[in-house]
Formats: sequence, C-alpha cells, structure tokens
Amino acid sequence: MNSSKQLRMTVYTSLFVAFIAIGAFIAIPIGPVPIVLQNMFILLAGIILGPVWGLACVAIYLLIGLAGLPVFAGGTSGIGKLFGPTGGYLLGYLPAVFVTAGISKGLGRKMSSDITAMLIGSLIIYAAGVPWLKVVTSMTYEKALAVGMYPFLIGDALKIIAAAYIAKILRPVIKL
Amino acid sequence: MLSAHLPACFFYFLILLLFFKKAGLNFFATLNSIKYFILLLFFIFIARALTVKGDIIFSLYDITITEQSLTEGFLVAFKFFLVMLTGLLFSTTTKPSSVKNAVQWFLKPIPFVPEKRVAVMISLSLSFMPVILKQAKEISDAQKARCANLQKNPVKRIIRLVLPLLKKTFISADRLVFAMESRCYNDDRTDPEFLPSGKEIPFLIGSFIISLSLAWL
Repeated sequence: MNSSKQLRMTVYTSLFVAFIAIGAFIAIPIGPVPIVLQNMFILLAGIILGPVWGLACVAIYLLIGLAGLPVFAGGTSGIGKLFGPTGGYLLGYLPAVFVTAGISKGLGRKMSSDITAMLIGSLIIYAAGVPWLKVVTSMTYEKALAVGMYPFLIGDALKIIAAAYIAKILRPVIKL
Repeated sequence: MLSAHLPACFFYFLILLLFFKKAGLNFFATLNSIKYFILLLFFIFIARALTVKGDIIFSLYDITITEQSLTEGFLVAFKFFLVMLTGLLFSTTTKPSSVKNAVQWFLKPIPFVPEKRVAVMISLSLSFMPVILKQAKEISDAQKARCANLQKNPVKRIIRLVLPLLKKTFISADRLVFAMESRCYNDDRTDPEFLPSGKEIPFLIGSFIISLSLAWL
C-alpha cells in the first residue's frame, strides 16, 4: 500500500470513528424506541473500509472510550462502561465489524452481499451483548432478550436496508 | 461476607465527593447527565433483590426478598455507580490532548501497533466530531424547512439524513487528505513534547495508599 493510499485510509478511518461516536447522539424519532444510528455506522465502517481498517476503526473508538473521552452512548466513558451491563455490545462490535467486512468483501461488494454481511454482523453484536447483560444483571434469558434485543430488531432491519443503499451510493463517491 | 465491602465503598464515595468539590463540579448536575444509567442500575438492583437466596425478610406468593439479596443488589449497583462516577470525574477534568498523549505513551511498548498513527487518528476523529454534529444539524434543519419530517417511511428518513451527511464530510475529508499530502505528512514526525508535571510520584503514592486502605476496609 503506497503512502498516499495509506494516508487517505487513515483520514477516512478517523472520520468513521467520529461517526460512530456521534451515531449515539443522532437519533431519528420513530415509534416508542428511537432509532439510534450507532450500530449502523459500525456496520457501514465494516463494509466501506474493509476488514483491517474497519477493525482498526472500532478498536480506536473503544480505545478512546476506555481512555476516558466521552464517546460512548449518553456521553459516558471509561472502564465502567466497557465492563458494565451494556459492555458486551461494545466489545461485540470488534468481531462484528471484522466479520461483516470479510463477508462483504468475500461475496463481492454487491447490495445483496452487503445485506447478508450486515445481518450476520448484527447477530454477532447481540450474541455478545445479550449473554453479557444476562450474566451481569442475573436476569433470565427470556428477560435479557426482551430488554436487550427484541425492542431493537425492527429498527435494526430498517437500518440495514438504509445502510445497504447508502453503501451503494457512497462507494463510487469515495473511490477506495 | 458481601456486606464487608460496604464500608470500603462508602469510603471511596466520600473521597470521590471530595474530588468533585475540589474540581468545582456540581455533583447533582453530574448525576443528571447519567440519569438513564442510574435507572439501569435500579433495574439491576431489583433483578438481584428478587433472585438471590438467603434469610427471608419478606415474601408474597413466589416473590421473596432476602437480607442477602438486598445487600448484594445494593452493593453491585453501588459499585457500578462508583466506577461510572470515577470515569465522569476523569473525563470532565482532563484535556483530550493529554489523553491522546497518554494513549500514545502507553502504546509505545506494544509491538505492531503504530502508536503515532493511532494518536493522529484519535486527534483527527476528535476534531471531526463537532464538524459532523454541526453538519447534521444543518442538514436536519434544511430537511425540516422542506417538510421532510412529515415523511412516514423510516428507511427514507435515515437515508435522507445520513447520505448527505456522509457525502459532505467525506468530501471535506478528501480536502484534508490533499492538504496533509501537500505538506508532506508522514508518520515519522517530531511530536510536541509530553512533559511530566512533577506531581506524578505523590499522586502514585496517594492512589496506592487509598487502594490499600480500601482493601483493608
């Protein structure tokens, strides 16, 4: 990779870190649960930046959150959030972005492959987040699923459709 | 056994309150900023209170509340609360640039991690954040002026907010790349010096003493 391409990817990756951090604040009010765009930006980072830079993007996001800058949902930060009740979702972003990017790249960057990749990515986030929530709060699985997964499923489906469309339009614009 | 940790927690809470006072922060205003987290802690307390077995204090049909469950629920919620407060105290009193320098210093001994590039990415993303927020506000105002908030289809609403936002910021990022290239940017540049303030050793000793006394309590 020549240095010009590397510099471009560095800037784009930091841009996506900023988007992920801000995604927690940009909400679209629809129905009882507002649609928060953070996990959409995580998945978009995966399918647009590719596996390596996507992983770096999420790792840096978690790193600055861990180091104490208020980038997690609700302007919070620190180890307490990362290992607190909802920390499983945050740590789940790491494998999710890598797998999403890998599948999207492997299947050849089409809209259908993007949707498959993002579906699997969202499932990984929940697979990490819900058991963590269950262990920390000692709820039953049914309760943990009802609190930590079911209310968000419809919003997630909408976000995945929107993200696939956005990725399709955005790729020619940013020419990676 | 579990209740033995309670004095340590309260002692730490008092120290935290002292620091809040010293930093000139309003404690209750800070609580207001984490009110949803406190709600979550309340649910954790209830979940613990209803599940842990022990000496029964109160029971109604299948619901039993025991002495152990109350103390354990309170302790778990209180510990999360304390960790959260510590994080808040840190992020309200520390400059982002010092955090960036500290991260760079910590990453130096780890192999295969380009610590300078990571530091550059951190400061870049920190400076992008206000720009993105401003543009998001501009776009949503422009949409409102065109009655886009009457649009019922949520997918269309997401696309119409996010797509222009991403396009705009990527174009400005492109300009930034050209600017950095034209100034011959590379990873091997000399950084501004990260000087110790001379208070590190007393601080280390102080925090060590606090941790020891907490463990003893």
